[in-house]
Amino acid sequence: MVNRKLAKLSKFRYAVLAAILLILSAGLVLLPKYEKHEGINPEELLSNAISPERYITSDQLANRIINQDPSLLLIDVRTAEHYNNYSLLNAINIPLKNLLDEESKAYLYQDAYDIVLYSNDNFYADQAWVLCNRLEYKNLYVLKGGINNWFNTIINPPKPTENMPAEDFELFSNRKAASMFFGVAYPEQAKKKPVEVKKVIPKKIIPVKKKKKMPVEGGC
Amino acid sequence: MGPLIPNGVIPYEWNSIIAIIIGIAFGFVLEASGFSSSRKLAGVFYGYDFAVLKVFFTAALVALIGILYMDYLGYIDMSKLYVHPTYLWGAIIGGAVMGIGFVAGGFCPGTSLCAVAIGKIDAIIYVIGIMIGVFIFSELYILFQPIYEGYFEGNITLMDSLGVNRYWFVFIFTIIAIIAFIVSDIIRKKQKKIFY
Repeated sequence: MVNRKLAKLSKFRYAVLAAILLILSAGLVLLPKYEKHEGINPEELLSNAISPERYITSDQLANRIINQDPSLLLIDVRTAEHYNNYSLLNAINIPLKNLLDEESKAYLYQDAYDIVLYSNDNFYADQAWVLCNRLEYKNLYVLKGGINNWFNTIINPPKPTENMPAEDFELFSNRKAASMFFGVAYPEQAKKKPVEVKKVIPKKIIPVKKKKKMPVEGGC
Repeated sequence: MGPLIPNGVIPYEWNSIIAIIIGIAFGFVLEASGFSSSRKLAGVFYGYDFAVLKVFFTAALVALIGILYMDYLGYIDMSKLYVHPTYLWGAIIGGAVMGIGFVAGGFCPGTSLCAVAIGKIDAIIYVIGIMIGVFIFSELYILFQPIYEGYFEGNITLMDSLGVNRYWFVFIFTIIAIIAFIVSDIIRKKQKKIFY
């Protein structure tokens, strides 16, 4: 009896399985939809934003430029006008309003380079940083203080006063050397010392009649 | 192994061992359900056995519905999954060649290896044929290269290219599958019973 009942039930087994598939797929259609959060979630963005690692100081940047670090990609997010006026060596200009363009994506969306964003201050660079982070771009840094700070530290370093510690003098000399790399001429360096050319005066040979028994002198 | 190995739940060294275990299990199930018989596989073309159609259609459906549910519930991020790139004409021509081979030989590449494992002579010949085919392809690769690497459509899915809502797509796909199962059953019943 049990077997017969089982046989009766198993007659419908394909229909039941098909019904399960149908119900499940219909369930997908009927489920309430919600907008998925694209990009990284807010908590992660916050933890990235408060991390001090996202800043690069002007000294670090100068050091990397001078050492010709091949993994460095400088991106100027100021307007083209400002960019043409003054920018860093080999920087690419992506104005903030063009940040999401298709062409800009080619530069920003990669993981081979360390991208350093900068503007006059941190302000626009930070905005660009947040936007790029939201799109899950990698290896993004912001130049701390932007071009203004760059100018005040590297190009025009403040001279330490006499009562400052030795490290400041060392830093100053480093910055000064860096600024010379970036084309700043210092008056004391520019002043060329008159090169003293030593005239080689040929020795006059005065023939001296040698007396006998005199020790042998030069010329022989 | 999906999210487990990259996230360090399972050490990386287990990768190939797990692959072998999964492979053995897959081969065993394939053989146990009769997929190492070329008569059963070819049956789908002659209309006396639709097991292949049913199995692969069902597998695709189960995976599809399962992944969509997991995506909905947040266990899997579907945008992170690997989507096989589409080379349109390469896929069409390759599919036709593979189909002809399937009808003529009665195996698909996976089941042929399964049949070799149980010592079927036709499968051994079939696998030798595959090797010859691979050899010819690689020798004439320069000739095939424009087709093989051309007509690249990107990593697209049917849902993207048709532009339909994916949930509706799955629902319609399910209905099509069930209709296909019913029709194939009707055809099978009309066919003379063949014992194999």
